[in-house]
Amino acid sequence: MWKVLSGVLLGWSLGANDSANIFGTGYATGLVKYRTAIWLTAVFLMIGAVLEGSKCMEVVGDLSSLTAIEAFYCALAAAITMTALTILAIPASCSQAIIGAVLGAGILSSTADFSKLYKIVACWVFTPICALFTAYLLHRILGFVINKTIISLTKRSLLYSAGIIVVGCYGAYTLGANNVANVTGIYVGSGVLSAEVAALIGGLSIALGVLTYSRKVMETVGKGIVPLDPFSALVAVLAEALSLHLFTQIGVPVSSSQAIVGAVVGVGLVGDVQTVSLKMLSRISIGWIMTPVAGGVLAYLFIRVMT
Amino acid sequence: MILEKIFSHGKKERQVTEDIERHIQLLCKACEIFKDALERNDRNLMYEVVGLEREADAVRRDVISHIYEGAFLPYIRPDLCKFVEIVDEVFDELKDTAFFSLDFELPEALRDESTRVALLNFRMCELLLISFEAMIKGEDLRDKILGIRIYEKKIDDIKLILWKDAEQVPVASFWEGKKLSDLLTGLTMISDFIEDASDHLQIINVSTR
Amino acid sequence: MKVHEFMTTKIEFIDGNKSVYDAVERMVDRHIRSVVVRFAGKEGGYGVLTTRDIVFKVLAKGTNPKTVKVSEIASKPVACIDKDMNFDDAATTMERSNIARLFVCEEGKIIGLISLLDVMAAELVTRARGKHDS
Repeated sequence: MWKVLSGVLLGWSLGANDSANIFGTGYATGLVKYRTAIWLTAVFLMIGAVLEGSKCMEVVGDLSSLTAIEAFYCALAAAITMTALTILAIPASCSQAIIGAVLGAGILSSTADFSKLYKIVACWVFTPICALFTAYLLHRILGFVINKTIISLTKRSLLYSAGIIVVGCYGAYTLGANNVANVTGIYVGSGVLSAEVAALIGGLSIALGVLTYSRKVMETVGKGIVPLDPFSALVAVLAEALSLHLFTQIGVPVSSSQAIVGAVVGVGLVGDVQTVSLKMLSRISIGWIMTPVAGGVLAYLFIRVMT
Repeated sequence: MILEKIFSHGKKERQVTEDIERHIQLLCKACEIFKDALERNDRNLMYEVVGLEREADAVRRDVISHIYEGAFLPYIRPDLCKFVEIVDEVFDELKDTAFFSLDFELPEALRDESTRVALLNFRMCELLLISFEAMIKGEDLRDKILGIRIYEKKIDDIKLILWKDAEQVPVASFWEGKKLSDLLTGLTMISDFIEDASDHLQIINVSTR
Repeated sequence: MKVHEFMTTKIEFIDGNKSVYDAVERMVDRHIRSVVVRFAGKEGGYGVLTTRDIVFKVLAKGTNPKTVKVSEIASKPVACIDKDMNFDDAATTMERSNIARLFVCEEGKIIGLISLLDVMAAELVTRARGKHDS
């Protein structure tokens, strides 16, 4: 059972990093208090993990056949990769780290099934694209509807205040539903845990990360992104959540950070504004390559050296 | 915090809106009284203007505290406060001008034009109130802002004549001349501040669409 | 809206025996389109000289403006309206008489002038005030 600890560590770092994608703007613009944000995130995240978290677990387990100890080292490798890339300020995707690690372990044990990889990589690539288009369309359509129906300043104020909460809760739900597989999915594949228990433990570890260490990231989330007006911020989070929910149904865990970046670009396109700099985009691209590679190499080395 | 906001159905917002409307209404009343006082050379009436400014100060403080108790979205609060501060500047200028006129009697040769300026200031305030109400309702402000600018342009035209006529007024000393100058300057600056206020309303309007 | 709220009080007067050239100088310098002509002697009263009069009756005909007196081409009498007249009525009066300006008079004295531009500005402001207009 101690082997689950590396997964818990991974979950904790995921929670600390990714919760800012949901309530970051709301917190930065003073709409939501920090305590409200983290508790809402933690609660809805857990609900998402428990209700739909098992949908993506199969894909993680299918890539390679892992023993329990190999699962431990994979999660550890992914956790270290995530932490290192976060320190280097390169947006790190937990999905990419764990999938890379699993493949690295699979290469070592010659059980790696690369045929499944195409579906996964396609989903990674489409995550920001899907979020971009969703955000653009939502902004246009919702914007049109709201301009026609709710024009009083007071009513709009109330709409945005309520909206950011509702959308944030949905975002937390989809984060839990989609990403819990990254954290404890490998234990299901290697037979350590059942899907339900894995979802519960994974959800709890992510929630723990949210509750204990997300403040710093939440406070700095505004730095990389153009300040958004309340409506755009709402639309961006909604687009991100919808994209994540879609990929949950497809069964592939994806990156919420990359989804939110895509959504923010999509929102910016409405106003013809470049919301993400080329520098940021190049960093993301580097992350896309480095993350799975680093995860894979680390897992390979751990297992090779330790077993 | 947010739940309280949602369930209060915009009570705080309504309170702030009413407060600001009251603030501008006081300004309109003060401008009207000022115009009448100037026209009739009524000193007692002019003192009322000063009293209204004090009342308006209290309203302004209420507005600011109500805003920061949680009305409207955080990003709009500083702009609303700035608007209230600009309206307060109009009041201050009006009060100072009232004091100048109490200290120095306006020459009869300048009374007609000065009264016209005071009337136009009053009209501008009325339009400012209309603009604010429209902004809260989410209506287009373009025609109202234009109306305020038209009034301001008219005052600018009268200002030229006023100063030219003032040059013909004999003054007994430097200080008398200075007092006359201060009075006319104050009278014609009020409209500039009202125009600033209306411009700021447009900024708030645009930023919330 | 009453006309006295939007009238121009910047009125230039010129003596009837001055030349059209003097009027041209004054009008170009002050950037105005009309001057009120004071008729001297038994005639008395006022007339109005506009840019249209000067250009069409003098300059376009090739006549030397220095040789023409203002009183010769000015229109008489001056079209006067009361200061409490509404802008709508003023506009109708202008249309009926086909004139571009009306003088606002009080007790026989000219106190102001409203032009076509003033009528338009008044219309804009009235619309902006909406149903709040008294």
